[in-house]
This record gives sequence, C-alpha cells and structure tokens, in this order.
Amino acid sequence: MVEIIEETKGKDGRRNLKVAKENLVELIKDLKSKGYDHLSLITGIDRKDRLEVVYHLHNMKENVYVVVRTETMDERMPSISSLYASANWEEREQYDMLGIVFEGHPNLKRMFLPESWVGHPLRKNYDLSKVQYVNMDEEGNDYATFDPGDGW
Amino acid sequence: MVVEGEKIDQSREWVELNIGPQHPSTHGVLRLKVKLDGETVKDVEPIIGYLHRNAEKLCEMDYYCDSLIYFDRMDYVGAMNMELGYLEAAEKVLGIPPPERAQWIRVIMAELNRIAAHLVWAGAFGLDLGMLTPFFYCFIEREKVLKRFTAVSESRQQTNYMSIGGVYQDIDDQIIYDIEQFTEEFPAKLEDIFNTFVKNDIFISRNKGVGILEPEVAIDYGVTGPMLRASGVEYDVRKAEPYLVYDKLNFDIPVSYKKDNLARFLVRFEEMRQSIRIIKQAIKKIPDGPYFNPKAKKSLMIRLRGEGEAYARTESSKGEFGVYIVADGSVKPYRVHVRSPAMRNLAVLPHLAKDVMIADLFSISGTTDLVFGEVDR
Amino acid sequence: MSVLERLAAFFAILGHYPAYILAYFFETLFMLIFVVVMLIVMIYLFRKYMARVQLRIGPNRVGKAGTLQLIADALKLVGKESILPSRRDDLPYKIAPIVVFLGLIMAFAIIPYGDFYYIGSLTITHSDVSLLLLFAALAIMPVGEVLAGVSSKNKYAVLGALRGVAKDISFEVPMMVSVLALVMMASARTNQPLNLENLISVQSIPYGIPQVIGLGVFFIAMIARAAYSPFDMSESDSELVSGHSIEYSGMRFGMFYMGMFGSIFLGSMIVSLLYLGAYNGPFSGDAGFIYLFIKAMVLVILSFTIWLSVPRIRIDRFVNMGWKYLLPAAIINLIIAGILTLGLSL
Repeated sequence: MVEIIEETKGKDGRRNLKVAKENLVELIKDLKSKGYDHLSLITGIDRKDRLEVVYHLHNMKENVYVVVRTETMDERMPSISSLYASANWEEREQYDMLGIVFEGHPNLKRMFLPESWVGHPLRKNYDLSKVQYVNMDEEGNDYATFDPGDGW
Repeated sequence: MVVEGEKIDQSREWVELNIGPQHPSTHGVLRLKVKLDGETVKDVEPIIGYLHRNAEKLCEMDYYCDSLIYFDRMDYVGAMNMELGYLEAAEKVLGIPPPERAQWIRVIMAELNRIAAHLVWAGAFGLDLGMLTPFFYCFIEREKVLKRFTAVSESRQQTNYMSIGGVYQDIDDQIIYDIEQFTEEFPAKLEDIFNTFVKNDIFISRNKGVGILEPEVAIDYGVTGPMLRASGVEYDVRKAEPYLVYDKLNFDIPVSYKKDNLARFLVRFEEMRQSIRIIKQAIKKIPDGPYFNPKAKKSLMIRLRGEGEAYARTESSKGEFGVYIVADGSVKPYRVHVRSPAMRNLAVLPHLAKDVMIADLFSISGTTDLVFGEVDR
Repeated sequence: MSVLERLAAFFAILGHYPAYILAYFFETLFMLIFVVVMLIVMIYLFRKYMARVQLRIGPNRVGKAGTLQLIADALKLVGKESILPSRRDDLPYKIAPIVVFLGLIMAFAIIPYGDFYYIGSLTITHSDVSLLLLFAALAIMPVGEVLAGVSSKNKYAVLGALRGVAKDISFEVPMMVSVLALVMMASARTNQPLNLENLISVQSIPYGIPQVIGLGVFFIAMIARAAYSPFDMSESDSELVSGHSIEYSGMRFGMFYMGMFGSIFLGSMIVSLLYLGAYNGPFSGDAGFIYLFIKAMVLVILSFTIWLSVPRIRIDRFVNMGWKYLLPAAIINLIIAGILTLGLSL
C-alpha cells in the first residue's frame, strides 16, 4: 500500500490525497486498477518555493472523484503518460506553461508555444514586460525571437 | 488500457503534407502534419497553439468578475456554456450561490446555446463533406437563437450575460414568450435540417463505419461529450453530477453504440431535441424571485475574496468542461486551469485517422467538433 | 445555309479568298462571343439559383438584380495580380489554363446548334467524324488540369491531378461504351453515324428513350467531367483546397473557373444532343436552336440541384463505381441497343 501523507476533503466534497513524488506513479496505478479510468485534469500550480501538481481522477462507472496532490522542489515529476493516453498532452501543456519536466514522457515538447520561447508563462516570476515575437521558418514551424533591447 | 500508437515504418519515405493552419476544413487554426501513402493517411500529428492567448494567466491577473470575458472567448460559439463553467467554480470559491431564478435562467441559456453550437457544428460538418446548402439552413436557425441572446444580454455571441451570483439582467415576459416561440418552431426546422443530411445516400456512405472509436480508447484519451456518448458510454455531467437545477428536469442522454462518424452526428442531433425538451420544461417551472445574489452587488464585485479551491464540471456542447480555481484569499484567483473538452477530443485524432483516406481524415476531424478558441485558450 | 456561306456572300465584294478568310474569322468570333456570353449567363443563373436554394438573395448590388455582378467579377479577376509560384515549371504552368479553356471552346465549336432562323450552323459541324472530334476536344481539358497540377510544384495540386486522372480513367470507358451503343443504333439508318447531324436526324424518337441506361451513364460521366459535387474530388475545396488550380490567381484562375462552368453547360448540351433529340421538337423548323437551348438549360438546372444537395463522394468509391457499376451498365445498354437495332430496327 502506498503511503499517503494527508487525506482531506476538499471544498467541493472530493477526496484529496497527498503523496510524495516518489509514490505518485504507484498510487495512480493503484487507483487505476480500482476503476479510476478517466484522467480528468492535470494542473500544475506555482507555489513560488515549490511546484504543486494536482491530478483529478474520475471513476466513470461509479462516478466518484479523487484528487491526488503532489509536490516537487526541483521541477521534475514522474510521467504518468504510460498509464493514461490523455496524460500525454496534459503533461506537455503543464511543461509548456510551468516548466515541469515529466520524466519518462515520450514526446515532451511545448504544447502551445514555439520551442524556442523563453520562460514559462504561468510561473509567478514570469516577466510579462519582455516581448517575444513568433515567426515562421521555411518548413512552416514556428520559432520565437526577441529584441535584445526590449527589456531583456 | 493504454493504446500504443503504432509506429509507422521509418525506413520508407512518406509524402509529407502540411495541412493548415489556414485550411478550409481545420475549423480555425489547426495544423496537421500528415504522412501519406498515396491517398492513405499513415500518420497525423496535430500542432496547436496558433490561437493561444493564455487565458489562464489573464485570469490570474484579473478580479474574479472580470475573468468572465476570457471565458466568453474560449468556445466562442457556446459562450453561455463557458460562462456557466467558470461561474460554477468561481461561486464555490467565493461562496456566493446564485438564487433559484438565476439558476433556471442559466439552464435555459445554456441549453439554447448548446443548440446554437451544435447547429454551427452541423453546418461546418456539411462543408467538410462538400455539402454547401445545409450550412445556410443551420445558420439561419442559429441566428434565431442569437436574436434571443441579443434580447437578454445586448450581445450576439460573446454574451457576458451570466455574472457572479446570478445573471446580468432579468428576463421579462416578452423574452420568455420569444423563447417559447422558438421551442415551438424549431423542432420542425430541425427535422428539415436532419433530413437534408440523413436522407442522402452519399452522406451515409461517407460516415457509416468511418472513424470507429472504441469506448475504452475514448475514456483513456479523456474524450467526453457527444463523442464519448456516440461510443456507447452513457455519461453526461448533467446526469452524473447535476449542477444548477438539472436534477429537477426530465431529459434523456442520447447514446449510440455504433461508435462511428454517423453515430456522433446522430447523437448531436438528438441532443438538440433533448435541449428543446429541457427548455420547454424550464420555461414552465421558472420561479419568481431575485435574479442575483445580493452579496454580489455590482459595486462590491471587485472586493470579493475567494477561499480554498474548487473544480467544477459542466457539460458544454463539446464535452466535460471543467474549471479548476485555486484561491489564496485575495481578490484575484491564484491559479485557474481549464479542462478543455475539445483539446482532449482532438488528441484522439491521430488514433482515429490511421490508415484512412484523406477525405475521411477531414470528416473525422469534423465530427470531433473543434473550436480553437477553446483548444488553445 | 450555313453561317459561313452567309458571311462569305456578305464579303463577296472583296473577292473569293479574302471573303472566305473574313468569313471564317467572323464565324469564329461569333462562336467565341456566344460561348462567353453563355458562360456569363450560366454563372449568373447559378449564383441566383444557389442563393434561392440556400434561402439567400444572391448578387443584388451591381446592376439591376445583380446582373452586372459577373462583369464586375471578371474585371476584378483581370485586374488582379497573377502570383506565380517560384518553383513552377514555367511553360506548362502558363499554358495549362489556356489548354483548359481552349478545349472548352473547341468542344463548343463542334456542336451543331441547328438552324436558327437565318444564322444557320457552323462549318465544322458538317464534318463526317464530328462525333469523334467532339470527344477528342473533350479529352483536351483533363490534359490542362494535369499540366496545372504537376507544374505548380504543390503537393495539393499533385494530389488533385492524380485524383483527376484516376477519375477520368474510370468514367471515360463507360462513357465511350454508351456512345458506342448510340452509333450502333444510328448506323442502321445512315451511312455516316459519326456525323453528329446525321446522328441527330435519324432519331425518330430521342435515343434517350430506348437507351435509358446509356443516358444515365452518360449523364453521370458528364457530371464527373465537369467536376462538380458529388464528383469534385479533384478540386475538393474542403480537402485539397482547390486541387490542381490551387496556385493560380487572377485571370488564370478565372479560366479554370470558366472551364468548370463551361463544362457543365457543355455536358448538358452534349446530353441533350445525343440522347434528347437535340434541336428536334414540335414546330421546330427555323427555331431548332431554341429547343436545344431549353433542353440544355433543364439539364443545367438539374445539374445545379445535384451540385447543391449532395456531399462529395470519396475517390476510391468513385473508381469502384466507374468500373463495377457504370461499365457493366454501359455494356448491358450496348446489348439492349443491339437487340433493339436488329429486332425492331428502330
């Protein structure tokens, strides 16, 4: 059995499980075998000193929800894309927006922004005053550039 | 069950075709990198983000009441559903439940908008298949819905009608009469539109047995909404976890077990019929009373402070639309995350469009019902 | 009396040879003007009809009821800059729209329009093999489309051209087999069944009645030739954007556009010519042309209705249909025609 650090009930009446990063994959594998077959959402939250990642899992048959929370100090998380196909894109989105590196992800590229974009916009310390421009190269792929004098 | 994507033969050289971001059938700014073997699609890689505005960051920077306009612009053909999704979460965080009358008004508006969104989809789907005419029939009917929206909110598409703790303004008898009129007239028109599609042999042959989505795969990819129901999973947030007053209304969840394009088409049309049913009941049951919670007076709106966190799910026209708000006790949300149903539905496209003809690639991507304001946010 | 002789008589004062040169020139000019005017009328009609079907109003700004809209559009197309792709094959790229338009004009020139009061018919229709000439001219247009597709150096265009070739091969064989049945039937009555005028004059009843299957096959082939819905796979605007003509703009695109509408009209003309008795009708006499025109127009409206009400068929299904259904149907039609010719001597 996986060690659960803390179990609470959220404001919306859902079970909240808090686990250590190392036990995450094991817990989610365990939950999946119990019927939580639908990964609703992966959310990364920038808590300034650490990054929190929240997994909303849903049991389609019994219609129950469970929220799994975990934290990382070094921007690294184990990937669960081998368990849920939908985790593939969601982890890419969180990597794009918050810079969380999901280890073991088969194709960890940015989801929305071009590859050469500097910074991760949903971080609290992301500097909005620095302007970046998106251009298209010969192949039709996007890349980002910036004007060095523009606050950089 | 995790579906392993079949790896294509790398030793061979495939014709690479770049479809989009500007293309008539990508419903906005989807880009597809397609590997072709003659006419057969071997591999599809969707590339998104051309309409990315980072609405989540914008929400973090704005007051709770102001963030609503970003949600209007997500699924821009179903703005009411988007507002509803946000408010369901925001009101839990702020602790301001809407009064009874506002809830009924919201149900009516959300269902009207579901009809409008499905009509846009049906018209665009016809265009994907090369049918010009039904597009106009659909948009004429949709315009009638938008006329009702203009009456209640003074805006056609980006209505911004619902507000924290209720709705922006009350609906009077004239508007109720107009909506009733619409529910009387629309079903016959809907059958007309329905028949222009399904009484066409070529339409049936293009869609029957194309794009089969197994229910296990659909759940694994996080597909929801009409696409999931067309794969034979009877799951609708309105029934599974009723919000507003959906538990007091009598309606059915349309399910098809055929799993193909045609099933998705039929499910969406049946949903419109059910929406009409809901509106007809709601108009009769709508109670008198205040239309907004006095705690959310307009002058006090920006001083509202949220506590804790909430994840609210609603059934938008695309599927399960979830909004996750984390509050830290200030006047602005700490983190807003949107579960975009269309993005999850798009993620399954590479699986569906394997070894199909180019023509079928577009009919499959048509049935996923993409609106890029929502996919890219 | 033909147009040519009338014109030659008009110019007779200049001497024999100059008169005939001028006569040929003006004859060609008349024909060209007729075709272009017909195309403009057709496109206007189509846009109005489409608007009515789709519960819209259609063109209504330029001129009375939008009648001058097409002129405005043509001027716009002419005035537009023709953007050339840098990696094109220059010569084929530039002649492709001309080939398409030329094929259309040539096919129109071969059609016998019947005697219209004093105007008469065009010279070339008196050829003994005008039926063969007509189908030779019809085969020119696909060449232009393939040239356009390959020389644009665009993957969409190449795919469009490939689809076009696959489509052409699969409908042209059944089309020619059904025409063969016509010639067979006509050869019982005349020595020159390949002469279109003879072919028409021996139709005591229109051949569309004994050869209903042939009429159907031929009409489907003509729809496929004109490449509109449901058989617009080669230029499907929602898949291949516009197929072979994707890299064309300005007047070059205008030529493809006219070629498409022209082939709808041409197809209707040919069907009414071969199967519906052409310019024959009660009290036709001097006004035979009007009969041909009315029959063609009915078919054009029918084509538009088909266009506006059905989705696009998939290319593999069309190829299947061509070889598995149209060809056997055409052969059955041939057998029936043979039995009718021998047994009943129609």
